[in-house]
Amino acid sequence: MDFAELTTEPIDITSVARRVVPPDCGATVTLDGYVRQFTKGRETQHLFYEAYDPMALKEMQKLIDQAKQEFEISNIGIAHRLGKLDIGETSVVISVAAPHRKAAFAACEWLIRELKRTVPIWKKEVYADGEVWIKGSET
Amino acid sequence: MPISKINIKIQLLFFGATADVIGSRELEVDLIEGESVSSLLERLQKQNPRIASEKLLVAINEEYAKPDVALKAGDEVAIFTAVSGG
Repeated sequence: MDFAELTTEPIDITSVARRVVPPDCGATVTLDGYVRQFTKGRETQHLFYEAYDPMALKEMQKLIDQAKQEFEISNIGIAHRLGKLDIGETSVVISVAAPHRKAAFAACEWLIRELKRTVPIWKKEVYADGEVWIKGSET
Repeated sequence: MPISKINIKIQLLFFGATADVIGSRELEVDLIEGESVSSLLERLQKQNPRIASEKLLVAINEEYAKPDVALKAGDEVAIFTAVSGG
């Protein structure tokens, strides 16, 4: 099955990866995106994510539909965390199941790139001496 | 025959940096029916100098909207800076 979800709870990566597996697949590629401690030398204390929830879910579903048309893949699961995240916690998981791995790698890369460009979610980096909303570079 | 101007109400939604600058996440505003997205943005940016130089994106009723789209009564208009999820 395909799915797109937003959650304020920690994401169980394995369960996302397993939920996308149908019988005709031989490989699942899973991206685990998590909170980086150092960005360009500056230390992050924690992150805060917020979303325009209903639109974010719609845009994620559009990416799933489009990826399934463009790549030889079977199922896609996307889960994005919202709220406060500590260093090392998973912010996004994208799992792509495919009959063969090559298409799954390509689709997963395409999905994370497009998610960062189009899905209305914003990240605030909180440092020891301040905080800043990060602006995406594309679009 | 003069074109009558119809006042309409729309709902504005703000997120992230934009919500911080506006000091609100939700506002109801009056405008003239048919006002374009770009004209609404221009007014907001004039009223709020801190977002005057931002490149703002707009979604109407949960879909990305182009600057020349005309606003209608009851539209939910979300205004935000470039997304940064992932």
